[in-house]
Amino acid sequence: MPAINEIPDTVFEETITRAVKEVFSTMLSQPARFVPMPQRPEPDSLELVHPHVVGTVGFIGAINGLIYLYLDVEFAQRCSASLLGVSPAELAELGDEAVNDAIGELTNMTVGTFKNQLSDRGFPCRLTIPSILRGSRFRIEPISSATRRIYRFDIAGSALTADLLMQPGE
Amino acid sequence: MRYKILSVDDSKTVRIIIKKAFKNYDCEILEAANGVEGLALANKEPPDVILLDITMPVMDGVEMLTKLKSDPALKTIPVVMLTAEGGKENVLKIAKIGVRDYIVKPFKEDLLVQKVGRIIDLKPITDAPAKGKSIFDPAKILVVEDKPAILAQIQEGLKHTPWQIHGVATTGEAIDYCGTNAVDLILISLSLPDEAAFTLFRVLRTTLKTKYTPVFGLVVKTDGAAQQQAQQVGFTGVATKPLDLPELEAKMARAMNLDTSERYFRIAEDVFVMRLPEACTASVLAEVSTYLRAKVSEAVDSGIGKAVFDLHEVKRLDMPLIKLLLTAMQTCREVALQYTLVGSGAVVAECRGYEDTRGWQFHETMEDARQSFQKPGGSVSAPAAVAAAAPAA
Repeated sequence: MPAINEIPDTVFEETITRAVKEVFSTMLSQPARFVPMPQRPEPDSLELVHPHVVGTVGFIGAINGLIYLYLDVEFAQRCSASLLGVSPAELAELGDEAVNDAIGELTNMTVGTFKNQLSDRGFPCRLTIPSILRGSRFRIEPISSATRRIYRFDIAGSALTADLLMQPGE
Repeated sequence: MRYKILSVDDSKTVRIIIKKAFKNYDCEILEAANGVEGLALANKEPPDVILLDITMPVMDGVEMLTKLKSDPALKTIPVVMLTAEGGKENVLKIAKIGVRDYIVKPFKEDLLVQKVGRIIDLKPITDAPAKGKSIFDPAKILVVEDKPAILAQIQEGLKHTPWQIHGVATTGEAIDYCGTNAVDLILISLSLPDEAAFTLFRVLRTTLKTKYTPVFGLVVKTDGAAQQQAQQVGFTGVATKPLDLPELEAKMARAMNLDTSERYFRIAEDVFVMRLPEACTASVLAEVSTYLRAKVSEAVDSGIGKAVFDLHEVKRLDMPLIKLLLTAMQTCREVALQYTLVGSGAVVAECRGYEDTRGWQFHETMEDARQSFQKPGGSVSAPAAVAAAAPAA
């Protein structure tokens, strides 16, 4: 089993791309497109200025990690309404809690699909319970031992950012 | 029968998606947010299937599954894992504890319904108001009988029904057939070798698809021991050989909870018609009596004011039939429904021989009967006419 820092970046890129595409097409019938960037985005580029909903799920095992999915509030609401099969007005009545739960579940499925591919590559891990961050003007900073990778996706004109923080596990 | 599906998932979103997936099917979704709640609910209201997540707070899905499988009362409930925890090793580890199926999130609602539909007989809900099955609706009947002559006899005797009679000779074939078809009733020969009928019965009762399907035993009249054993283990009923097919048909219709009233009662334009068949056996008369009052009320309630008792197929009159007709006439009078009779010459002649029926007025055809309502004294409608219907009563 190779060490985490020996795994080429392309593997993580392919794995998270497959996970995002599979979850958004299966659950929301929305095709997701990976947006290549000329150079690896700097953590500062994730500083948020608009209201966002950020879902996070961790995995522990051969690799320990956290994946954050960033969606602006409007996109998060559209995804939630579609997932729950309700209109925007009905979603508004259900409140932020319904959006949090829906985005938490989308993140759970995405991280699950990512992690299951790692497990099948010989890095068995298990998932943690999802949590949600909400707000604007905040930045998530990893501890120095973690490797960070940022990937961007276009989903029917809306932006989704996946922020992967990983370090060797057991 | 309404099946219960228990969804155990800490995500309310997933529970809503599950409800959405099954909303067009006749089943009830029970919800629990973790393993502790799931076990409590399964104990209180045993479900027919459990959909179980793994990663949950308080008690996770693996612990709940382990506890479920060690509880004699709950261990037979089929469990389908519905979880983001995939990976070959994980799936294999959990499969060893005992699950019926494994769905890895993300999932399509259709796939979920399809997998659960393999375990329970999911029936779509129609927009029309719930209506019981009628004797004129198709039904699938399975006959497990190793003697072709008996199967042929049943097929011939029930060929006038819309029922599809499928015969198999062995219990293995029966189990295969039930696995791929929604069977409405099963007839099993109790004389299959090695008590196979009773073994098959136990399998049917532990299989969700056939758990509630009526099962009749076919047995020689003189084999009292087999009849008793069938009753003890819980067969719905027994039909004795030589088979009385009309009697068997009536028993089967009752067991399938079929509405047989349409055979005898109908509304023809503005007239309520009670038609009696050629052979008015005791079971036919009992069936007609069961529906009579409700059908008359239903007709009056829908604005019908005239009734015809159509006896043109009846060949002979006897006391039980006369009693039924007197009851029908009395029921009509109670709700001020005008009535008259249609009958063949033979029946009219027989009526003259009885004190109670001597004064009954018959018409040769439905059309004559219909026109009689226009003529004064052409039908019976008031207490004064009671004497005309039953002069000696």
